[in-house]
Amino acid sequence: MKGPDVVWYLALAGFLFCTGALGVLIRRSPLIVLLSLEIMLNGANLALIAFSRHYAQGDGQIFALTVMAVAASEVVVGLGLIVAIARKNLDLDVDKLSTLRG
Amino acid sequence: MIAAAWICLLTPLGATLAITLAGSRITRRGAGYLATASVAASFVSAVVAFALLLGDSPEHRSHPSTLWSWLTAGQLDFGLRILVDPLSVFMMLVVAGVGSLIVAYSIGYMDGDDEERRYFAYMALFVFSMLLLVQGGNLLLLFVGWGLVGLSSYLLIGFWHDRPSAIAAAKKAFVMNAIGDATMALALFVVIQRTGSLDFETVFTHTGALGGGWAVNLVALGLLGGAVAKSAQLPLHTWLPDAMEGPTPVSALIHAATMVTAGVYLIVRTNPIFEAAPRVLELAAGLGAATLVLAGLIALVQTDIKRVIAYSTMSQIGYMFLAVGLGAYANGMFHLMTHAFFKALLFMAAGIAIHALAGEQDIRKMGGLRRLMPFTYIAFLVGTLSLTGIPPFSGFFSKDSILGAALAQGWYGQVLWGVGMIGTFLTGLYAFRLFFVVFWGEPSGFVREHLMTGSHAQAREGHLSHDGHESHMHAGEGPLSMTLTVGVLTVLAATGGLLQFAGVWTPVSDWLEPVARPLVEATGAQEAVSSVLAVGLGLAGIWVAWLIYAKRRVQAPRLATVQALLEHKFYFDELYGLAFYRPAVLLATGLTRFVEQPLVLGSVRGLVRGVRELGLGTGRIQTGLVRTYALSIAASIAVVTVVFLAVR
Repeated sequence: MKGPDVVWYLALAGFLFCTGALGVLIRRSPLIVLLSLEIMLNGANLALIAFSRHYAQGDGQIFALTVMAVAASEVVVGLGLIVAIARKNLDLDVDKLSTLRG
Repeated sequence: MIAAAWICLLTPLGATLAITLAGSRITRRGAGYLATASVAASFVSAVVAFALLLGDSPEHRSHPSTLWSWLTAGQLDFGLRILVDPLSVFMMLVVAGVGSLIVAYSIGYMDGDDEERRYFAYMALFVFSMLLLVQGGNLLLLFVGWGLVGLSSYLLIGFWHDRPSAIAAAKKAFVMNAIGDATMALALFVVIQRTGSLDFETVFTHTGALGGGWAVNLVALGLLGGAVAKSAQLPLHTWLPDAMEGPTPVSALIHAATMVTAGVYLIVRTNPIFEAAPRVLELAAGLGAATLVLAGLIALVQTDIKRVIAYSTMSQIGYMFLAVGLGAYANGMFHLMTHAFFKALLFMAAGIAIHALAGEQDIRKMGGLRRLMPFTYIAFLVGTLSLTGIPPFSGFFSKDSILGAALAQGWYGQVLWGVGMIGTFLTGLYAFRLFFVVFWGEPSGFVREHLMTGSHAQAREGHLSHDGHESHMHAGEGPLSMTLTVGVLTVLAATGGLLQFAGVWTPVSDWLEPVARPLVEATGAQEAVSSVLAVGLGLAGIWVAWLIYAKRRVQAPRLATVQALLEHKFYFDELYGLAFYRPAVLLATGLTRFVEQPLVLGSVRGLVRGVRELGLGTGRIQTGLVRTYALSIAASIAVVTVVFLAVR
């Protein structure tokens, strides 16, 4: 069961991760930021699975499954927060949500 | 005998605890009766102990008794130990005997005071402390009693705690005594270090171990410091006159039975130590002589009836110090006993007068009490004659034997004998000045207002006294508890001196011989010469007082500077203020300004400012902008990654 070399997978994972990170840094809508976060996580997952396959060990895949579970819960919390913010009629803009300033 | 001694010691403590714990379940009068009964019980047990001790041969009259080991530290082991020997039994009899009369007198005197129960609890505690002091079988228990006496005197002098002057006097007494306590504690440390024990027998048989030279002198000096403070001798005497702020029976107790006699007792008890340091013993005699003259001079100008008597106490204790300092221990102890009788009598008779005059103590407002208070007049006259040393009253026998012994003790003793002679003249003068001013002459307006019949009601309205309790007017000379006790003391003061007549009949000296062997014996001729001279000088003092204050034929000489000097009590208070109080205040303000403000408070303030600045600075980093955080995380990861790669 030969596929592409592990390097390709890693390159894709890096690309996904950087895309996500850029999204987190640049976008101001919390919804998009959350989405970008998911992309970052998936990049990391891809790297885990690629290594798992490369070394023919299951650990990485199991870890990837765990990350997915965590990501799902995180999205629930994040989306819940966003809905709560929207209910209060606040702007959905991370730069304006800065009441925790020191 | 041992059991009797323990009962004697512990009953007053029991009364204190019972009155304190019973609180308001016991009536005020009941508290008075309980305290009196306890002290009287202690006197009875002291008599029993005395009778039993009398059965032993003189060499075997020392009976230590240890209840249990009280304090153990390494090699040291101090027992809860009392010693029953002639000296302690002698003191027990005086303390409990005179003490019980004074406490009984208080029942009448303190009647109606708001806090009678507390008063009687303190009185019993005071007697207990003094008994512990005299019965303690090692220097440590003696020291515990010493401290407790200081505490109870503090509590009683400041008994009327709503008077600022009483509080100040109590504090002064406590501080002055604390100085003595400190020197005494230091002496005890040296004793422990040198002999490894504080038991009397061990220490006294090992005075050699104290080392000749500095160590034994240091110990004796420390003990003398304690004695001087407790007995109000120069230079730590200033607390005694101020202690008159307490109720009159308290003054009687402090002056007659407890407290001030402790110093004399200490010197007699530790005489082997003092004899190993003869210079210090001579110093004690010298201090006593100086005190007796100074106090006599100051007493001449005081206008408060209790203060005059207080200065006479200082003067008489000076005689006792003179005696024990010259090695005439029994003479000193004998004077201690007769002094207890006549001084308690003087205070309590004065208390009757004060009581009848609604708490007034200024003798310038008194006068002519002779006809109005005949009983008090007789009692006071006996006390005054005894104080002056006129035969056959008790003071004559004890004081003259001290002077006779002084005459027999070399040139130093003769100098002090001369000083003591001046003292007898002064005693006659100040004692009878007080007597004539208060009791002779025509009743003053103030006296008339208070004592003449028919004007009682007015007096009560007009003079709301400052004590509350003393606004209770008693017709005549007070209730039975007061007159009866004063009567007993009058008899004692008149006849107590017959117990010993130097050279002829000396049971007191023989009794104390096993504990304190006298260093000096006066010959019959010396006794006779000094007796005749002393009585003559005493009578001369009385005659001068009679001319000035009774007949008013002679004007008292007015020398402004001398008068000022005496009225300021030789400026001791001012001197101490200048020497200790002012520098202490200056030092404290200096430390506040130059150490506390800049260093302590300044450093704290600096620290606070630093932390706040740091917090504000760090706070600026927390922008609240999520994207900034994300960027900084990303940047940090990038930096870390680069560093890791570079290091590899």
